[in-house]
Amino acid sequence: MTQNNIETAVEVKNITKSYPGVTANDSVDFKVLKGEIHALVGENGAGKSTLVKILYGIEQPDSGEIFINDKPVEINKVDKAIELGIGMVHQEFHLVPSFTAAENIGLGQEPRNSRGFIDWDELNSEVSNIAKKYGLDVDPKLRMIDASVGIQQRTEILKTLYRNANILILDEPTAVLTPQETDELFEVIRSLVDEGKTVIFITHKLREVMEISDRVTVMRDGKVQGVSNTKDTSPEELAKLMVGREVFMQVEKEEAKPTEKVLEVKNLWVHDSRGLLAVKNLSLDVHKGEIVGIAGVDGNGQTELVEALSGLRPTSKGEVIFDGKNIESISPRKRRRAGLAHVPEDRANTGLNLKLDIWENLVGTSYFRSPLSKGGIISMKNVVDHSNNLREKFDIRTPGVFVRTGSLSGGNQQKVVIARELSEDPLLTIASQPTRGVDIGNIEAIHKQLVEIRDSGKAVLLVSAELDEVMSVADRVAVIYEGEIVEWVNPKDVDQQQMGLYMAGIKD
Amino acid sequence: MEKFSFKDVLILFAGTIITIGIAWVLLTVTGFVPREIGKLFFEGAVVGQRNILNTLNIATPYILTSIATVVSFRVGMFNIGINGSMYIGGLYAAWAGYKFTSLGHIPHVSLCIAIAVITGSLWMLLPALLKVYAGVSEIISTIILNFVAVLFVSYMANGPFRADPIAPATPRILETAELKQYFPNSQFNSGFFIAVIIAFLTYFILKKTTFGYELRSGGDGLVGFYPSRYSSYLGIPSDRSAITGMLISGGLGGLAGGIEILGNARYFYQELLFNQGFDGILIAIVGKLEPIGGLIASLFWSALRNGGLFVDYKTEVSREIVVILLSILIFFVSAQKLVSSLERFKFVRKLDAFFTRKIK
Repeated sequence: MTQNNIETAVEVKNITKSYPGVTANDSVDFKVLKGEIHALVGENGAGKSTLVKILYGIEQPDSGEIFINDKPVEINKVDKAIELGIGMVHQEFHLVPSFTAAENIGLGQEPRNSRGFIDWDELNSEVSNIAKKYGLDVDPKLRMIDASVGIQQRTEILKTLYRNANILILDEPTAVLTPQETDELFEVIRSLVDEGKTVIFITHKLREVMEISDRVTVMRDGKVQGVSNTKDTSPEELAKLMVGREVFMQVEKEEAKPTEKVLEVKNLWVHDSRGLLAVKNLSLDVHKGEIVGIAGVDGNGQTELVEALSGLRPTSKGEVIFDGKNIESISPRKRRRAGLAHVPEDRANTGLNLKLDIWENLVGTSYFRSPLSKGGIISMKNVVDHSNNLREKFDIRTPGVFVRTGSLSGGNQQKVVIARELSEDPLLTIASQPTRGVDIGNIEAIHKQLVEIRDSGKAVLLVSAELDEVMSVADRVAVIYEGEIVEWVNPKDVDQQQMGLYMAGIKD
Repeated sequence: MEKFSFKDVLILFAGTIITIGIAWVLLTVTGFVPREIGKLFFEGAVVGQRNILNTLNIATPYILTSIATVVSFRVGMFNIGINGSMYIGGLYAAWAGYKFTSLGHIPHVSLCIAIAVITGSLWMLLPALLKVYAGVSEIISTIILNFVAVLFVSYMANGPFRADPIAPATPRILETAELKQYFPNSQFNSGFFIAVIIAFLTYFILKKTTFGYELRSGGDGLVGFYPSRYSSYLGIPSDRSAITGMLISGGLGGLAGGIEILGNARYFYQELLFNQGFDGILIAIVGKLEPIGGLIASLFWSALRNGGLFVDYKTEVSREIVVILLSILIFFVSAQKLVSSLERFKFVRKLDAFFTRKIK
C-alpha cells in the first residue's frame, strides 16, 4: 500500500439488506483505499457475499449509499458495475469449457475487424499482452476444458482486466488451489496492485489474510466487527472477532489409540463417470480409534474412492472389507446398516434434498425404524422430537424443523448432514470435504465431533483438499495423486512445503 | 416450487382483478354489458343448488388428474400421459360395466373402478420402465402414448366393444355399475366423494408414511433431473419409487376416466373427448403440487368453467372468452418471479411471516 495515497476506491455507507427472516447486511460501512489489498473475512453467513454482490450489482441494498472513487453511484445491474471498473472473480468459475482462454475472455466484447467479423488475432494478442503485463501465465489458445483450476482462475482474472477493471473482487480464490498455486496467485495479486489496481480479497483462511493483505475488515452476523491494518493484528484476534469468542486454531486431541481393523481396502480399481481410471490399485486400512486422512488436490480420485466405499459407484477390481465382511457389491443402505456412515462432498445434491424440509433430511437414514415410524406410518411427534434433539445437539441454526433445507446457510446445511450421519452411531464415518464452505466456528465444531467419534472407539476416514484440516485432525495421512497413494505421512513429522510436493505427485 | 405463502394469495387476488379488467374490455368492445355478464357468471359458478352441483361434478375429474400430476411430479417424473390413462380407464370401466351381468351394485361398481385404475395404471408401465431402464424421456413417451390411447379406444369402440350398429359405441353399462346420481337436476354423482377421499388419502400417504417419504425423497423438486443422487446415497430405491409413482399417477388418470363413464356418460363412444388430463397439469401447478392444493384449485377452476358455460348458455357471449380469461389467470398464478418480486415490499414480508407462523 502506498501510505501517502489516501484516496478511496470503494466506500459504502450504512448499507442494509434483508432477506425474509435474516438481515444479511446491517448498517455496514466498508471502505477500501486505492491501491491496497483489502481482505474481507467472516464466517459463512456473515454477510461478505451479500456485500460484494451489492457492489457488483447482483443484489440491491434496502438502504445505504455506495461511492466509487469518491463519487456517489447506484449500481443496479452488473453492467453498471463493470462500467465503473469493478471486476469480480466468483468462487465458481463462469467459463465456457469448450472455449479457449481468449474466447472466454473476449466473450461479449470481441474486437471486430473492418468487415464486422471477430478479429481473433487481435483478441489473442490483446489477451497475451494483458497477461504478460500482470504476470498471468495463460496461453490464449488453451481450451478451458484442458486447463488446470489455477489457469481457469487466471483466465477469470484476465476477463475482468480485459474489461478494464480497476477494482477486483476475488471471492475465496484460494479454496481450490494447491499451496504452490496459491503462492503464484499471491504474486499475481501483488503485481496487480503494483500496476495501480485495488483488490478486495474474500477469504476465511487467516494465514492468507496475514500474508497478503494490507488492511482487513471482519464481518459477523451482517455487521462489521472491526477494521485494522494487517500488521497491527494477529490471526487469534481476527478469529475472535469473526466468531465472537476465542477459538483454538489447533485441534486439541490426545494421541490416537487404534485398536482392531475396521476397514481394509485391497488393490482397489475404480473408473470415473467418463470411463477413465480414477483409482488405481489403491490399498489402505482404517482402525477403530483413529482418524485416517486423505490429502490431495481435488480431482485426484478422492471422489471416486469415497463413492466406491460408500456404494454409490461400482468398483472395477479389488476388495473392500468392512468389519470383517466383503462389502464391495452390497447396496448403500446395507452398508449403512452395517455401520458405515458417509458425509458426502456434494451436500446440495447428494447429501441433502434441498427441496425437502429439515426434518425430512434429518430422518433420511432412520425414518423406517421405530419409534420414528410404525407400520409404515410416520409418527410426526417422534420425528419432530428426534429432529429437535439433533438440532440442539448439533447446533443447527434454524427457526424450526419445518423449514425448507435449501434456505439454510451452507454451514447449517452441512450440520444437517453430519447430524443425520452421526445420529446412527456408526462404526466408521467417511467424511468427504466435511468443512467445505463452512465457517470457522462450525469448522471447529465439526473437527471436535470427528475427534469425539475417534475417542469413543470408532473410526473416521477424512478426505479433504484442505491441507490444514487433514494435517490437524488426522492421525495418519495418505497423500493421493492421480488415483494412487504417493506417501503415507505422520502429520507431525512433515511440513506444508513437503506436503505440497507430495500433492503434486513429486516424491523426493 | 416454493411453499404456499401469503404472496401467492396476493398474486391470485391481483391476477383476478386484472383478469376482470381485461374481461371488462373484451366484453365492452364486443357489445355486451360487463356487469350483467359478470352477474350471470357468478350465478353459474356458485349460486343455487343446481349450479353448485354441476360445478362439483365438473371438478371430479380435475381433482383426480391434478393429483395424478402431483404424484408424478413428486417422484421426479413429468407425466403428460394422464389423458391417455383416462381414455383407457374409461373404456375398460365401460366394458366391465356391461360385461359382468350377475353382480350386486357395490361389487359391480367396485370391480369397474378397480379395472379402470388397473388399466390406467398399466398404461403408464411402459414409459416408466423405458425411463428407468433405458433413459427414454417420459415426456416424449407419454405424449406419444396419448395419441396411441386415442386411436386404441377409438378402434375398440368401433370394433370389439361395439354394440350399436349405427354409432361406434359400447353398450350402455348396467344399472348395477352406475355411480349414483342423487339429484334429478344434475349429473352430480358419488364419484365426487371418491375424488375428495383420494385427495386426502394422497396427502396422508405422501406426507405421513414411509412409503410416501421414499416416493418424494427421490424426486421432489427435481422434475427433469431424476434420478436424484440423494435417494441413491441414502439407499432409497429411487427406481422403484419412480415406477411406483408413475403407476399411481396412471391409476388416478384411469380412475378419472372410469368415474366419467360410470357417473356421467354411462357408455363409451368413439367421439368421447377427454382433456382433463392436460388441464390437470395446470391445476396441479396452481395448487403448488400439493394434493389438497390440487383439490382446492380444481374446485376454483371448475367454478370458473361452469360460470362460463352458464354465460354461454344464457347469452351470446362465446365460451372461448372464458378460456382466454382462464389462461390469463393461470399466467399470473404461475408467475413465480412476480411472486418473489413481491418480497421487496415490507408489508408483504411481514404478512408472510405472520401467516407462516399461523400455519405451524
